[in-house]
Amino acid sequence: MATLLRLWPLKRGLGCPGFIGTLASRAQSTAPEKIEIFVNDKPVKVDPRSTVLQACAEGGVQIPRFCFHERLSIAGNCRMCLVQVEGSPKPVASCAMPVMKGMKIKTDSPDTRKAREGVMEFLLVNHPLDCPICDQGGECDLQDQSMNYGSDRSRFTDMEFAGKRAVEDKNIGPLVKTIMTRCIHCTRCIRFASEVAGVEDLGTTGRGNDMVVGTYVEKLFKSELSGNVIDLCPVGALTSKPYAFTARPWETRKIESVDVMDALGSNIVVSTRGGEVMRVLPRIHEDINEEWISDKTRFAYDGLKRQRLVTPMAKNAQGQLVSTEWEEAFFRIVEKTVSLSGDQIAAIAGGHCDAEALVALKDILNKLGSEALCTEEVFPMDAAGTDLRSNYLMNGRIVGVEEADKLLLIGTNPRYEAPVFNAKIRKSWIHNDLDVAVIGQQPDLTYECEHLGESPKLIQDLVDGKHPYSKVLAGAKKPMIIVGSAMFQRADGAAVHRAVSSLAQTVRAKSGCGEDWRVLNVLHRVASQVAALDLGYKAGVEVIRNNPPKVLFLLGADDNTITRDDLPKDSFIVYIGSHGDNGASMADVVLPGAAYTEKNSTYVNTEGRAQQTRLAVTPPGMAREDWKIIRALSEILGVTLPYDDLNEVRERLEEVSPNLTRYGDVEEANYFKQSEELAKGIKQQLSDQPLTPPQLALKDFYMTDADITSITDNVALRESCHGVGQQ
Amino acid sequence: MANVVKVSPFLRTVSGRIIQTSVVPVRNASTEKKVFGPLKDEDRIFTNLYGRHDWRLKGAMKRGDWYKTKEIILKGHEWIQGEIKKSGLRGRGGAGFPTGMKWSFMNKPSDGRPKYLVVNADEGEPGTCKDREIMRHDPHKLIEGCLVAGSAMGACAAYIYIRGEFYNEASSMQIAIKEAYEAGLIGKNACGSGYDFDVYLHRGAGAYICGEETSLIESLEGKAGKPRLKPPFPADVGVFGCPTTVNNVETIAVSPTICRRGGDWFGSLGRTRNQGQKLFNISGHVNNPCTVEEEMSISMKELIERHAGGVIGGWDNLLAVIPGGSSTPVLPKSVCDDVMMDFDGLVEKQSALGTAALIVMDKSADIVNCIARLMEFYKHESCGQCTPCREGVGWMNSILQRFDNMSVLC
Amino acid sequence: MASKIVRTGVHQVKPILSLDRTDARRRVLNLYKAWFRQVPHIVFNFDVPITVNQGRQKIREQFLKNRHVTDIRTIDMLVIKGQMELVETVKLWKQKSHIMRYFKETHNPRPSDFLSKFYDGYM
Repeated sequence: MATLLRLWPLKRGLGCPGFIGTLASRAQSTAPEKIEIFVNDKPVKVDPRSTVLQACAEGGVQIPRFCFHERLSIAGNCRMCLVQVEGSPKPVASCAMPVMKGMKIKTDSPDTRKAREGVMEFLLVNHPLDCPICDQGGECDLQDQSMNYGSDRSRFTDMEFAGKRAVEDKNIGPLVKTIMTRCIHCTRCIRFASEVAGVEDLGTTGRGNDMVVGTYVEKLFKSELSGNVIDLCPVGALTSKPYAFTARPWETRKIESVDVMDALGSNIVVSTRGGEVMRVLPRIHEDINEEWISDKTRFAYDGLKRQRLVTPMAKNAQGQLVSTEWEEAFFRIVEKTVSLSGDQIAAIAGGHCDAEALVALKDILNKLGSEALCTEEVFPMDAAGTDLRSNYLMNGRIVGVEEADKLLLIGTNPRYEAPVFNAKIRKSWIHNDLDVAVIGQQPDLTYECEHLGESPKLIQDLVDGKHPYSKVLAGAKKPMIIVGSAMFQRADGAAVHRAVSSLAQTVRAKSGCGEDWRVLNVLHRVASQVAALDLGYKAGVEVIRNNPPKVLFLLGADDNTITRDDLPKDSFIVYIGSHGDNGASMADVVLPGAAYTEKNSTYVNTEGRAQQTRLAVTPPGMAREDWKIIRALSEILGVTLPYDDLNEVRERLEEVSPNLTRYGDVEEANYFKQSEELAKGIKQQLSDQPLTPPQLALKDFYMTDADITSITDNVALRESCHGVGQQ
Repeated sequence: MANVVKVSPFLRTVSGRIIQTSVVPVRNASTEKKVFGPLKDEDRIFTNLYGRHDWRLKGAMKRGDWYKTKEIILKGHEWIQGEIKKSGLRGRGGAGFPTGMKWSFMNKPSDGRPKYLVVNADEGEPGTCKDREIMRHDPHKLIEGCLVAGSAMGACAAYIYIRGEFYNEASSMQIAIKEAYEAGLIGKNACGSGYDFDVYLHRGAGAYICGEETSLIESLEGKAGKPRLKPPFPADVGVFGCPTTVNNVETIAVSPTICRRGGDWFGSLGRTRNQGQKLFNISGHVNNPCTVEEEMSISMKELIERHAGGVIGGWDNLLAVIPGGSSTPVLPKSVCDDVMMDFDGLVEKQSALGTAALIVMDKSADIVNCIARLMEFYKHESCGQCTPCREGVGWMNSILQRFDNMSVLC
Repeated sequence: MASKIVRTGVHQVKPILSLDRTDARRRVLNLYKAWFRQVPHIVFNFDVPITVNQGRQKIREQFLKNRHVTDIRTIDMLVIKGQMELVETVKLWKQKSHIMRYFKETHNPRPSDFLSKFYDGYM
């Protein structure tokens, strides 16, 4: 099936009009000459490959639709988009009809209106009138369009009490709720599942009026992108299970923000009501997430309400953490810190920290005379290490994969490390004939890939041209190598890094892809890493392990990279963060911080793009924004940081690394060659240990500990997804 | 049908040559025929329509099938397509698309994908039973047609998608295919022409919608038989993603004879743009329901009177005729009196030739009841992808059932 | 330009109530006396923990707050406001807390330094 799909209809469809515009325009550098058509007698110049519907959109006329969706293939079955075309005896389904020269389209003629009204009436014949109890109410395409295009009165009398069609609800998992009676058979969910998510779980059974959308046998819709069908469904047939009956769209405030569940920085909208996050929806960003988000992004919000740290806490005489006041908590820290020299203080930053908090923490420690600032995520510090940005960025950018023709994944499973990026790879695999190869343990990907092997030595073989695949890479026009950041955590991480960067240089040289094409890409797994490295944090806690500090600050670090056992007995741990997890449980003082929906803060994604989250709700209880906690602490410690408000912190950020405040832009990195030269100095040898991505099954995705620290660590989602794990 | 021809006399006369263009002069306006039919016995193609002779290979060869097929193939695809174009053959499945043109869509240079011929033997239209007669009694005509048509479009194989209910027909087809393979007529080096060609029989599961070409392709691929969106057309992306032509059984079955006797001979029958002969099915209120081969453009009245023994109770007892299978509009008697049975003649009267399956209703028929029954069929067979049909046909059905019940009550 | 300034300087404005300073002064004194006389009733009616003397002191304080005003129209406006206030007070349209606001401001000023803001949660 997958192969067939690849042949038809998507790939072939590209030659035909109307398929996925962005990609078509990317792939086709020379657009054919535009032709003139008439939309309601207004001349419009359009691309000859576009459909009537797209042409009308260009002419400023929005045509109603249910089944048509820009990012999915064309089904042409709802018939809501019927328009009259002069010279055509019947109304034309505009979503599927290619434009022709001189076509005269009437989008508002009596015939068109009548056709729409008829289709709307047909759709409503078998659609339940349960809008008041439907979660889609208020954001329902059917509701809106029946107001705009439907008839103002009903002819549905049902004298014989035959009733409407009723369909049994399906149980497709803990995230997506189905009320199949409401289904209007637009098949968007089916097309999404098979085209974007790459799982053939959904389909239709039966025919005619008995046609049913479902999984045929009861099973889970097992995709890490499954939540997107909720947004795609134009009616209330597929709704969010956790969000069910909790809020109405008109009651909520929508705040545009950025996700921190993975390193992509998907753009999101946070819907809040009364100081509570009700749900998270995707926001369109063509270069990152298009309009999809992963299930973790969408459903992790319930973790924002559970196991939160709401008051400062300090250990009492019995060694138990008890709530206290800010002054008291600060006092306890000062008491311990004041007599220490700089080298006895250290800090570890976790995966969800924002750049503001990171810079504040760095400044305070520097002022105290300490340089021991680490991230939990390891990155080889040998040779150029993190000094050259190109070493740790996804240099080719996320959209780069749409242009690439050969993709080599090394020790990564993008499907669970960055599900939205994986969907992009799949898109490119379908439309651009992208060839994918994998080194490392074979993950269950949603596209075909050549599995080269598991040993890291293969990378060296590819560099030396010993492996047959090196010829393929050499023949590539736009090769892309993606390394999972987890590979640098290995004991031979530096050697892997050396091998990968020399492979990238070799491939670039051999394939002749040009200087501006970036071959080497690192796919990070946590949102804070790039900003932390940009700010000069040391990757990995090696420094701390070698020189155990007396006072350790944990900024949202919950991965147990340093435990009590690594530190002297009398050492003092301060935890600053939003959730009570591993970090907080071993701390002496806990300072409650804000989660990503509760602060205006800066995150840099894996390609080096700085983006801002926005304050959607205030931090709970006595919790404060992280950088402010550090700023307040600095005053108590007598090393007052020179910034009082957000703008001043950001000025400081700009001083340290100007790219951090250029929101929305990707700051490119360079010096690949130099980096490779430096990397040659690394003496470490590649081991034989197979390269194993940390997340191989869907279970891992929902229940990650390594990847995600506090927020999804304790969500109800995790419990509800136990089912997924067990299947 | 007193003197049923054993071997086409025409073929005997031209023995050495396959084409005989001089037999029928090219028509011009002055010599245009005004009256069509009855079809002369020597112009018949389906000489075993009634199953009175052996349908197996031996009998078929006796009747002229597989005669010089090799030479036809060796003439090349352009020649075959030219003959078909010259003959004016239009698709016999209902839509009446010019076959020669359809085949020429396959001329595009190969991009490495194989090409396929698919024969639509999913004859599901109520009233229609022409293809089953061919497959039952003249299966070798179809197989030979597959080879000729396949070679004309460079196809590597033909899939005959046969309706699931046609068990006996599928059996005889399968036997015929086996015979043809064993005789070396198809398969590797078919007929010794050096051309490799396979014929596969695929049985459907009995869905009316699978008679539509794209859903037939879907069904053939093993998926649910529901239509695909066009474009891409099957000539570009068809079965298994390869260029495909889907033709009706009758269209394919007449093609070898056209090639043997020449496109001009076929073109001399029937009106311009509606040339040829055609199998007509006459059912309903006639004295002698039958399937008969007749010249195109024959008048409906003559067709019914001559072959079906007339309408029960005489022509004046006629109520209406559905001229081309149940999906074509009904014609009232006033129209039936002088309508010509061809594509253009029926379109002129706001109906269609369809599959040329006449359903005759006399005055005893309750037209509302008849149409209600047909609507029930269409409701049952709607594929359910598009809203107007999915919801609309059911709605129409309930309206018609209501009409029907009320007419009973009143 | 200069002539324009002069012209605006001597521009005759329409008086609100008073025609000259004496007139305005008379109105102010009248209002003051009215308030002065009403204080015992106010203290009694509103049952506020204030003595009559304290009330009169407060009235004097409120009037003196505006002693710098010289513009006749402004004085008139203030007098009108004072009268409105008086009516609202005497007719008991006000409540106890409104009276007490003259004696004690109810809200605390927000802290301005970072640390106090941090502790108070004004961020």
